[in-house]
Amino acid sequence: MLAAATILLLVQTAPAQEKFIDVRQEMADSLTEVKDAVSENNWASALESFNKAKDIWQNEVKPLIVEDNKTKKRFDEYFGRMNEVQEDLNKLGQLVQNKQSTEIESKVNAIIWGISHHPRGFDVPDRVYNVWDWVFGLGIGLGFCVFAVVAGLYLRRSYYRRYAKQQNL
Amino acid sequence: MPSDLIIIGIYLALMFAAGIFFSRNIKSTADYFLAARSAPWFWIMGAVWATNIGFLHGYLAHGGAAYEWGLVQANFEWFQGPFGYILTGLFFIAFYWRAGIFTVPGFLEKRYGSAIRVIYSIGWLIFFIITIAAELYLGGMFLKNIIGLPFWPTVLVLTGVVGTYTLLGGLGAAIMMEFVQFVIMMVGTMPLVFILLNMVGGFEGLTDILLNQWNISPQYFSVLPDNHHPYGPGPWIILGQCFVVTIGWCAGHQSMVQRNLGARSLYDSKLGYIVAGLPKTLGAFLYIVPMLAAPIIFAQRGIFVEKADAAYGKLILNLLPTGMLGLFIAGLTSAGLSSISGVLNSSSTIVIKDIYERFMVKGKPDHHYFVAGRWATFGIIVASLLLVSIVAKSPLIMWLEQTLLAILLGPFMAILILAIFWRRTNTPGSLIGYLTGSAFAIYYQQVLGQRVFFKISWWSFVVALVVTVVASLLTKRPKPEKVEGLTWESDFHAKVGAITEQRAENNGTKVTQLPDIKITMPPWHLNLKYWATGILIVQLVLLFFFG
Repeated sequence: MLAAATILLLVQTAPAQEKFIDVRQEMADSLTEVKDAVSENNWASALESFNKAKDIWQNEVKPLIVEDNKTKKRFDEYFGRMNEVQEDLNKLGQLVQNKQSTEIESKVNAIIWGISHHPRGFDVPDRVYNVWDWVFGLGIGLGFCVFAVVAGLYLRRSYYRRYAKQQNL
Repeated sequence: MPSDLIIIGIYLALMFAAGIFFSRNIKSTADYFLAARSAPWFWIMGAVWATNIGFLHGYLAHGGAAYEWGLVQANFEWFQGPFGYILTGLFFIAFYWRAGIFTVPGFLEKRYGSAIRVIYSIGWLIFFIITIAAELYLGGMFLKNIIGLPFWPTVLVLTGVVGTYTLLGGLGAAIMMEFVQFVIMMVGTMPLVFILLNMVGGFEGLTDILLNQWNISPQYFSVLPDNHHPYGPGPWIILGQCFVVTIGWCAGHQSMVQRNLGARSLYDSKLGYIVAGLPKTLGAFLYIVPMLAAPIIFAQRGIFVEKADAAYGKLILNLLPTGMLGLFIAGLTSAGLSSISGVLNSSSTIVIKDIYERFMVKGKPDHHYFVAGRWATFGIIVASLLLVSIVAKSPLIMWLEQTLLAILLGPFMAILILAIFWRRTNTPGSLIGYLTGSAFAIYYQQVLGQRVFFKISWWSFVVALVVTVVASLLTKRPKPEKVEGLTWESDFHAKVGAITEQRAENNGTKVTQLPDIKITMPPWHLNLKYWATGILIVQLVLLFFFG
């Protein structure tokens, strides 16, 4: 039973989300190889790595984003950046083919950042507390503090009252 | 990279050997579960901090959540320090000590009866097993990302090392290892803060880049954020986190409390807990602040980050030189191991003391429960391993943990506060209140879809508190002998009674010293009040500066 449960759990592990991580990692690795090859002036290798990255984008990453976005909105952030990544990839392709090394690193970095997970806190709008947040949140919070002080004083008084009683014995 | 692997290998081997070395004096359940009540305050301080900080709490999951949501994550370090550690150290720990218990559920049973003990134990046991699974997952993923070790073999090796020294050495080995790991973590992980802040031009440079050049929301740097945060909005952070979650965590989490019960005296226990507030506070600089700078480094250097929980590992992999990376990984691994060890030992304590010995097999020799404790440890390791792949599906581990804690802590805090501060609280009242509060938390979260954790914690606390008070008033008053020594009021009366007896013996001569503080006063540097005040001042300065 235990072994069967283990196998079942392990088999369940890695569906779409794991695949989405793996293909993006592969694409990022290929793009990093482009940077490395350009720094060694090996343009043939750079073009090969670029084509590999582009293939992964077209055949693996992009379809996963588009498909998933139709149903679960799980990869929403990537859907919003798809055009930007596509444009950067096109530009990078031109740079590699024209052997223009100056902008390649920044373009590669931008694409990798485009397919990375961005902090959600970046998009949080400015503060919009409503009145109930203040009433319940701070009101009760301060009330709780006042209650704690009053209860503390009551306990202290109770102690001294009892102390005085015992003294009269 | 090979030198890094050698450092990590040596470290794991030393941990393994130390566990076996410390296990040689373990003879009874008190040795195994409470370290023979022999630990001095500084061991307690290190162990409490190291237990709390691991892959999950701290570097990877807290760091990941800081990457995701920003500075708001620091509240766990800046509120938990003063409110959690200090208040628990000053007000709750003494009652656990006087009750002579092994576990928090044991205290609840003494005050309220066995039913609540079982319910509470099972709730925490489930949470602990998931916690261990989360730690193992994060550790395996971290080492896979950093040095390319295969995930499952790495998880099994980590489990083997930590399982061995906890299983053999019990709490004593765990506390001593945790103290060593506390030092390694501090030394090993501190350099990253300076390296990162230097790279982005200090904290001012960091805020300038993100706010002015990237135009991100200022909420990313707010400790009291907007209500779109899972922790917010701000007022609820103050309310739910200060008054319910952090105190509930420090006073109710068996791993934390158990380290205190292993102290050599009540004073060591209190002092260790209060002083642990300081490294906890500073922890925000080890793993929260660096993660705020992480997006800049990732974007500038073209570093791929697949999910928030992986961000910390990616950061150190790309920033630290060989050798230092090994030390860093050893530090982080030690953090993870100490947390796993702490929770593992506490889980087995709950299984044996709260369930097995209490309800299943009574009256056996102590050695029987000691051996059963080791088997329980083994069983919990296996159960956690089975859950690793389930936990892996969570997009953010902190989210998973907070979801569970939001349900657990509110009702617990209500009945704990009433247990100690209102002697009229009785068994039926507490049971009805606790169950109602828990049911409300689940309903609020799962049916009404509330996603702000601290709102759930707060309202479940209020519901449990009100229901417990009403139900207690409608039912019989508890017998005085049942609550004697377990409540604040009876504690006062006990002191007064003792003073009166002394006065009678001295023919009415005034006795100014309370009986239970008739001890040599500690030197100023070990004074509880000074430490508590100093740490509170540090907290207030930090909140003022970053708030």
